[in-house]
Amino acid sequence: MAAADRQDAVLVPVGDDLYGVPIGWVGEVVTLPQLTPLVTAPASVLGLFNLRGEIVPLLDTAALVGLGQTDTVTFVVVLRTKVGPVGLSATACPRRAILADLLGPSELSGTAGSYRVGDELAVLLDVEALLTGLTPAASELVDATNARGLPSHSRRH
Amino acid sequence: MAVLSAPQIRALFAQEAEIRLAQLGQHLLALESNGADMELIGSIFRELHTLKGSSAVAGLPTVSDCAHELEGLVEDLRSGRTSTTPTLIDTLLAGVDTLAEVIQTAVAAGDAAAPGPAPIEPAPARSTGDAEPAAAPLTPPAMPADVTAPADVIAPFDVVAPSAVISRAPDMAPANVEAPPAMAVPAWTTPADAGGVVMVPLERLDELTRLISESASAHLRVGRMLSDKLKLDPASITEFNELSRALNDLQDRAMRTQMVAVSTVTDALHRTVRDLARAQGKDIRWDARGTDTELDRGVLRRLSDSLIHLVRNAVDHGIETPAERIAAGKPPIATVRIHAMQLGSEVIIAITDDGRGIDLERVKEEANRHGVSTDALSDEDVAALTLRSGLSTKTFVTDVSGRGVGLDVVRTNVEAARGRIEVRSQPGQGAEFRVIVPITLAVLRCLLVEAGGARYALPFHRVVRSESGQGTTRAHAEGNDMVWVDDGQAVPLSVLTETLGMPADSESVDGPIVFLADSARRHAFRIDRLIGQRDVVLKGLSAVLPNVPAVAGASVEPDGSILLVLDPPGLIQRARQSRPVRSVRPAPPGAGDETERPGILVVDDALTVRELQRSILERANFSVRVAADGVQALAMLNELPSDLVLTDVEMPLMDGFALTEAIRATESLSNIPVLILSSRSSDADRQRGLDVGADGYIVKSGFDETALLTAVGRLLGSRL
Repeated sequence: MAAADRQDAVLVPVGDDLYGVPIGWVGEVVTLPQLTPLVTAPASVLGLFNLRGEIVPLLDTAALVGLGQTDTVTFVVVLRTKVGPVGLSATACPRRAILADLLGPSELSGTAGSYRVGDELAVLLDVEALLTGLTPAASELVDATNARGLPSHSRRH
Repeated sequence: MAVLSAPQIRALFAQEAEIRLAQLGQHLLALESNGADMELIGSIFRELHTLKGSSAVAGLPTVSDCAHELEGLVEDLRSGRTSTTPTLIDTLLAGVDTLAEVIQTAVAAGDAAAPGPAPIEPAPARSTGDAEPAAAPLTPPAMPADVTAPADVIAPFDVVAPSAVISRAPDMAPANVEAPPAMAVPAWTTPADAGGVVMVPLERLDELTRLISESASAHLRVGRMLSDKLKLDPASITEFNELSRALNDLQDRAMRTQMVAVSTVTDALHRTVRDLARAQGKDIRWDARGTDTELDRGVLRRLSDSLIHLVRNAVDHGIETPAERIAAGKPPIATVRIHAMQLGSEVIIAITDDGRGIDLERVKEEANRHGVSTDALSDEDVAALTLRSGLSTKTFVTDVSGRGVGLDVVRTNVEAARGRIEVRSQPGQGAEFRVIVPITLAVLRCLLVEAGGARYALPFHRVVRSESGQGTTRAHAEGNDMVWVDDGQAVPLSVLTETLGMPADSESVDGPIVFLADSARRHAFRIDRLIGQRDVVLKGLSAVLPNVPAVAGASVEPDGSILLVLDPPGLIQRARQSRPVRSVRPAPPGAGDETERPGILVVDDALTVRELQRSILERANFSVRVAADGVQALAMLNELPSDLVLTDVEMPLMDGFALTEAIRATESLSNIPVLILSSRSSDADRQRGLDVGADGYIVKSGFDETALLTAVGRLLGSRL
């Protein structure tokens, strides 16, 4: 997706990498709550947790972009989507930053360009693409999200 | 499960209807000059019939009702009960206009708020010329012109408001009017009356319910904090207890907003009984009890078709004619009763008749014919076979057990509402069908089990039984563990943790066993521990997640932890797939193997129906081809056979019966299972379907995705 010139983002540390989530998606950041594994789900779903009475799935950020597994999750970035909250795993406390220094495109799936942040590199996440990529039958999610008005890709079956 | 979205289906229907309406207009005009042309009459009938079917599938009942009325008029013509007169043509043409109007409104509004169109009235004053008896089936609408007013002023005997009204039963003269039955409109479709009722969008109610449960869980956390940090026992604090009570009440009331009384559907049932009894010359007293029993709106809506099916069966197959009753020493007036009652967290709706009961001998014969031994079964178990055609036999889908058809479909629908159905029958005394459903879908009675250190909830209506595990008779077949059960059958046995892909932390080979069932089979699972029964407030999983078939949802426990509620059918499916397998073709629904997807040929002249079926079946991972009539279908099959043929009955060129016959007569195709899907629900049609060699017969009115997939799965499953 086209990256804006300046992107207000939450930087999510995952292992040695840093991912940027556009601030509009982020509801809150919480420390890792008690997780209930979701049996039979793909590896990118770490489990379910209780966020004030709501059942929220925790997704493995590394797995979503296609880089294996996030080890030792310590924080969760709670995204607010039209289909309810979704958690992304982080290995250290996320922080806020402005992404302005676009270095170039990024290669991983569900990402939208890499940025320079001080001495570090941050890869901006395309949250929609990231979440849509979760379901092999992507059309299902697109249907579900369309029904609820989530801005979605024009990917149709 | 989004297949085609409702607006998509309606758009498809609108497209189809436009063409059919134009055709109808032309045909009718042609009929005017050539009134005896049976082929023409047949075409008109077919167009109307198809419109009816398609609109029903598109979820536009006002349209299908209207088409149905017109179809009735043409049926009379087709069967020679009436003959073509200019007046009749006028009426039909006016009817088609009305139909067009209704379609336009309904498609635009999604049928939610389609206002009733003006009634289709016979053309003004018939001339004496065509007043011969045969040509006068069209009594003027029994009602004055205010039929289009809101439902509560609709007088007796008109068709379900707010659809178009055509009165055509000559014997329904006002003189016959007994106590006017209340209108056959389910309450949820009627506008709210003035009694202080407001309409609230559902999502607002849901939001409210969600907020209340959030408050409740915050409250629990406060309680924990009080005891952890302040060393206070929350139960000793009056204010805390008051808040607990208030929150409990709130939760209870919030749930009640979703409840409706059973009486909202009993009027329609009464109507069904009455009409059918009149049509069959039977004298039936309708008795409704406990109709103020409330249950979840969603549950009741899912049940209403099944209840209609059951009372229809009672009248049709249970109740004898007055003469037969007198001969049997019974009172000539029969009784059909509905009795609803709440029992704990369940509602029981019993439909009882005092007719001839279920012909157990015939059921046995039928079962034996399909290789099921009935020797060891009690009468009750034999009666229950009528509900289990799929479980007990492999090759027939419809129920030809002397108790009408489609009871297995009823059962599937009841199970979809997380309920179960029981049957009792006394030969000569009558039969009783009990539909037992949870009061609300949001609260699910579950069996809690522990396996691999985690707790899981299993919906109770799917649990056949559980046993300690010691002393069970084990068996082994084709590399699989089996366990014997009472009725002499061996049920496959899996370890729950293995099926779920979780590590098993105990090596207990003697753990308890739970027997789960989906609509067609049983499967046993070994667990570590039985914990007990519990009502679980079920929440769906996030839509972001990929489909997880073995999990029905989850629930937040009072201590804040999350309890997974497993879905037995998905679990069974998974267990069967993961077993060391015989060479099995991928089990149809949900299987992911692309290499050998079973192929289905869908034959229907209605575009809407065809496409809907295609989308349902493709989603269930079948490879689907479509044909618009029998001739085309046969040509396609000769080119490349399918694994199953799903066909409509009424079609131009070659109808479904002829197609089935042709398939059976072709050597290379004769083994292909044929499933007939028709809106013709009469026994004669069904019998004809079976006679020509169909393997199953689904009535479109009872048609839904689950029923279709169940039937298809069953037929394909039988060929593995």
